[in-house]
Amino acid sequence: MTSTMVPTDPRLFRLPEGDETRPHLLGSYAPESELYFWPRRLRCPVTRTAVHDVVLSAQGVLFAWTFLHVPRMGNISFGDTGGYGVGQIDLPEGVRVQTPLLGTTDDWQIGTAMGLTTFPVGQDDDGNELVTFRFEAVR
Amino acid sequence: MPSKLARDVYVIGVGMHAFNNNGVAAALMADVAGVNALDDAGIEFPEVGALFNGHLGGGMGAGVHIAKEFGLTGIPVTHVENASATGSCAFGEAVHAVGGGRVEVAMALGFDDMNKLGGIGRSRGKRVGAEDVMLPAAFFAMWATRRMHEVGTTAETFAAIAAKNWNHARENPYAQRRADHDVTIDEVLASTMISYPHTSMMACASGGGAAAAIVASKEVAERVCNGRPMIRVTASQQRSETYTEGHVFLGAVIGPAQMTRDTAADAYEQAGLGPDDLDLVQIHDAFPVEELVYYELLGICGDGDGDRLVAEGATSLGGRIPFSTDGGLTARGHPGGPTGLAQIHETTLQLRHEAGVRQVEDASTGLCHMAGAGSVCVVHVLQRT
Repeated sequence: MTSTMVPTDPRLFRLPEGDETRPHLLGSYAPESELYFWPRRLRCPVTRTAVHDVVLSAQGVLFAWTFLHVPRMGNISFGDTGGYGVGQIDLPEGVRVQTPLLGTTDDWQIGTAMGLTTFPVGQDDDGNELVTFRFEAVR
Repeated sequence: MPSKLARDVYVIGVGMHAFNNNGVAAALMADVAGVNALDDAGIEFPEVGALFNGHLGGGMGAGVHIAKEFGLTGIPVTHVENASATGSCAFGEAVHAVGGGRVEVAMALGFDDMNKLGGIGRSRGKRVGAEDVMLPAAFFAMWATRRMHEVGTTAETFAAIAAKNWNHARENPYAQRRADHDVTIDEVLASTMISYPHTSMMACASGGGAAAAIVASKEVAERVCNGRPMIRVTASQQRSETYTEGHVFLGAVIGPAQMTRDTAADAYEQAGLGPDDLDLVQIHDAFPVEELVYYELLGICGDGDGDRLVAEGATSLGGRIPFSTDGGLTARGHPGGPTGLAQIHETTLQLRHEAGVRQVEDASTGLCHMAGAGSVCVVHVLQRT
């Protein structure tokens, strides 16, 4: 049986489609306020007007980061690295995303170009590979 | 628009059970704090007209169950939960119950043992979703790294704030962390790194504890003050976040920093004073970058000038405007339910001039600030009258 990647939460992001190499976060756009949001909103939190769904850019810029020295994130072990990176990424739409980071502390500086990638977190009951997302430095 | 009180409200009694990591049952600690507050006020529980119990970890209605130990008097008992600001919100509800004329006397009681608290985030009990598992240590560390980038703050400055609070707690019998020596910047920096640039001695102490405060109308306060100075609550303000540039909706522990600036502005307006009128401040110093940023957001100094305050020792006991005089979240400790009420306890002692070796000279006005996940910000101003 071939394993298929399945998003842990398809409301938050989708996997690459067609020629795409990166997954995309799924957000909202409010025409009246001209603001983008992630995750999707029911209405614009500023003007309380209608929003519609948008696919957000797969690349952004590192706004802030740290390395968290804890051995686990939920059921994921980081025993080999002693922890994991966490960052805030500014997407071109004006959305700031808080996310785990892939790589080492040498890879991250404020202003570094970052791209979205998948993050395996286990299998579902059908044997599919469950993935969430994280960002990595774009080389 | 700041909220208002229709009549004056006074703190007539405060009580605590020491914050600790000894596994004392939260219910027993709550009883001690509540009884101490009643004794301090010089009243019996039947005179309390409403009780607001701040508690995070005990499940549905846990705060209401606790009230049964004080007496089945039939008063309204409300379980309050608002993350780290739970105790502050319980106090605010008590203040507004009296200030709005609902009751003459109200009690706020906070208690918790964070070691028995379940996980947080949407993934609790389920397979992990990495997007929603962000620990406060990581969130506030990103405040710190960004601050270092923008202002040039050093790890030594963060360590200096933490060391100050550890040393303030040395003389506080209710503090969880009481060092037997003068804590140094080097010692804080050398402790275990938990989330760059924050080390374990910079992180708030997690454990258990309880604290209580009783508030009353002017008529009751005058009757029970027994010659002691009366402590008036001149501002009680609470806010949630507003949209700001770079707003983080998912994973942010608390909302934008602007929330504190806005809540403080409301409190200053209600109290009819400004930051220059404060004699001491209790703050949500879960990590030292918070205290540093809040110096500026509360208007104690200009934006970017907080580092200078630390270097000058202005926020230490004996300085111009002491912060976290009881050790703060860093060292007094931070069980969710009682922390905000421990701030009221400390500020009341200071304004009565009963704080012993921690006493801020001639203290007459104190501000208490708490932030909580979700997010929430609460600011109270207390004044000696």
